[in-house]
Amino acid sequence: MTDIQEDLSQENMFLQTVANALGRKTVLAELPERQEAGPPAFWREQKFEEDQPLALFKSNLEALTGRVAIVRNGAEATNQIKLWLKVLNAKSAILWDHAKLREYIDSTRLGVKTAFWNRDTSRRELIELAEQADVGITWVNYAIGYTGTVALFNGENSGRSVSLLPPTHIAVMNRSDIVPTMSTVMRILLERRGQGALPSAIDFITGPSRTSDIEMDLSIGVHGPFRMWAVVIDD
Amino acid sequence: MSDRPVLHLRDRAAKALKDEQMRQAVRKAVDRLSGNKDKAARELPNWEEWREQTRLIREHTVDHLDYYLALLTQNIRKAGGKVHFASTAGEARQLIAKLCQQYEAKHIVKSKSMVTEEIHLNSALEAAGMEVVESDLAEYILQLAGETPSHIIVPAIHKNRYQIAELFSRVNGEKVEPDTPALTRFARKVLRDKFMNADVGITGCNFAVAETGSITLVTNEGNARLSTALPKVVITVMGMERIVPTFEDLETVLSMLPRSATGQKVTSYVSVINGPRQPGDIDGCEQFHLVIVDNGRSRILADEEYRAALHCIRCGACFNVCPVYRQIGGHAYGSVYGGPIGSVITPLLENDMVFWGELPYASTLCAACTFACPAKIPLQELLFNLRQKRVSAGHTDAVEKFAFGMWKRFFKLPSTYKFAMKAASLGQKPLVKNGYITAALPILANWTNSRYLPAAADKTFRDRWKKREK
Ligand code: SF4
Repeated sequence: MTDIQEDLSQENMFLQTVANALGRKTVLAELPERQEAGPPAFWREQKFEEDQPLALFKSNLEALTGRVAIVRNGAEATNQIKLWLKVLNAKSAILWDHAKLREYIDSTRLGVKTAFWNRDTSRRELIELAEQADVGITWVNYAIGYTGTVALFNGENSGRSVSLLPPTHIAVMNRSDIVPTMSTVMRILLERRGQGALPSAIDFITGPSRTSDIEMDLSIGVHGPFRMWAVVIDD
Repeated sequence: MSDRPVLHLRDRAAKALKDEQMRQAVRKAVDRLSGNKDKAARELPNWEEWREQTRLIREHTVDHLDYYLALLTQNIRKAGGKVHFASTAGEARQLIAKLCQQYEAKHIVKSKSMVTEEIHLNSALEAAGMEVVESDLAEYILQLAGETPSHIIVPAIHKNRYQIAELFSRVNGEKVEPDTPALTRFARKVLRDKFMNADVGITGCNFAVAETGSITLVTNEGNARLSTALPKVVITVMGMERIVPTFEDLETVLSMLPRSATGQKVTSYVSVINGPRQPGDIDGCEQFHLVIVDNGRSRILADEEYRAALHCIRCGACFNVCPVYRQIGGHAYGSVYGGPIGSVITPLLENDMVFWGELPYASTLCAACTFACPAKIPLQELLFNLRQKRVSAGHTDAVEKFAFGMWKRFFKLPSTYKFAMKAASLGQKPLVKNGYITAALPILANWTNSRYLPAAADKTFRDRWKKREK
């Protein structure tokens, strides 16, 4: 069967119809001026105390059944995760092969079987490993205080399956990467990467997978993790 | 768009009014959701400023939709995705079926999407011999039951746990207990398998970002993440107006959508997808297709009187405060889009002021929807204008009587009345002068024969109506 190609004449006709509907003869080609963009001005201009983003992050995530441990260094972070794995009776974990995660977390000390998300293993096998792992451990690119959210960037050694398929997700971060609001993350991302070079997926995760679809009854772990816990390293 | 129901609005409503179980479930859902929303609105500083910002973003986007569609297309291609355009539901169905055939798809997983229901995608794919599984828990339940959504945010609210347990028990022949955790666990197991073996994932699109070529998907369950992470091919279907210009605009619409829908600050998952996987990436799709659908939207766009209807962010807040929706539930609307916004867009999308033109009468014109809408769409004004349009085209019939019946019910029931007025009182301040709502609400003026309508807080209002009904 031949490939379905993008149909340029259909596209032109479609856009032309839209332009006409807006009273234009041709499709607008210049960036239109705007009076307002992004969040409201008061929100963009608000100032936060230094401790606020972390305090907000912790209380917001805890309100959603999350646990937040604040530790001082990699050894403490490793111990914290080890303890949680024990409490969960976990046998296996899959970790992002992320430089920062390797730097802080000593995977040999976790007391469970560990696998790393990297190209040494095939896609199929990795997805299956993630599916069978008790816990997925990721490194957080940015966290958002105001909502208790972590933002994870997809990449070669940072697959989305790790935060998605296991029943528990543990996210590890530097305290300095907790920012107040979502648009702060957006701004930083665009500044650092420039347009068009974003990771193939950015996942904003806030608490466990949940549903209220059955009689408005809250139930957790419908497709994704039942638990979303965080370790904040304040060094 | 929708398969046209056999019954007329008044008969569909009469049928719904007899379904006590459904009506009770709907009442419970809308009370909870609108209560949560009010709380969320109070918690977010300066709610009205956020609403105005949302309106400005949506208005600017829709008024320059040609530019932003072209920009989005360009940026999706830059990220390695392909973009297709469909002017009608039929074109969209054909295109998506052909794409699936090209990849020799046998198993397809879908995450909740209104536009795919609008174009009746499932039946087209099934006719082409493919298995299509809805992965949103509510949609999965409805798919097993062969039914349609009764609410935009909690689509299976009319089904109780015993009915769901029965449906689930039929799937593999093993008995599933009728309690929520057991039902959820069962769905997780069955659907996880489907995700692991799917050839194609089909998603809707909450917001596309023109400047970055991103698709934003919002769920609490994580099914949109699974649909985009595991299958090798992802097809995203979007109504052509679902765009915001910039990445930062997302914070505004993403703040308002969950708060208005369920009262949450944010949903468990917000996924921003930027094309297929990049060199080195391991999971995510190899092929990413975006299908942009018109299907009547350009007609709404061309009509300045109704263009604001395209500002909708599909939050469902207008359903939750609507006294008529509360009485009759979603099925009676007969259309994929119910509630106040559905009553506005269905006749316009269908370009049918006769049959679908009845829907604007499924309203008491109490304006609660307008005050609830996070995008400040003047819903009650649009509903009124549509009635006028129908009347001036010479179609007056029993539907007027239906509307009056609904309206009587509404004012007779103190709880319903209080409920809607509470919603209305949130936003009506600017229109109130000396305790009376002024002529800024033209439709209300019409209903009251240009008498002043006392403001919601005024208790004598209800008594007045009572007197009038006698
Ligand atoms: S019309 Fe407004 S309130 Fe109704 S669903 Fe759309 S955005 Fe929400």
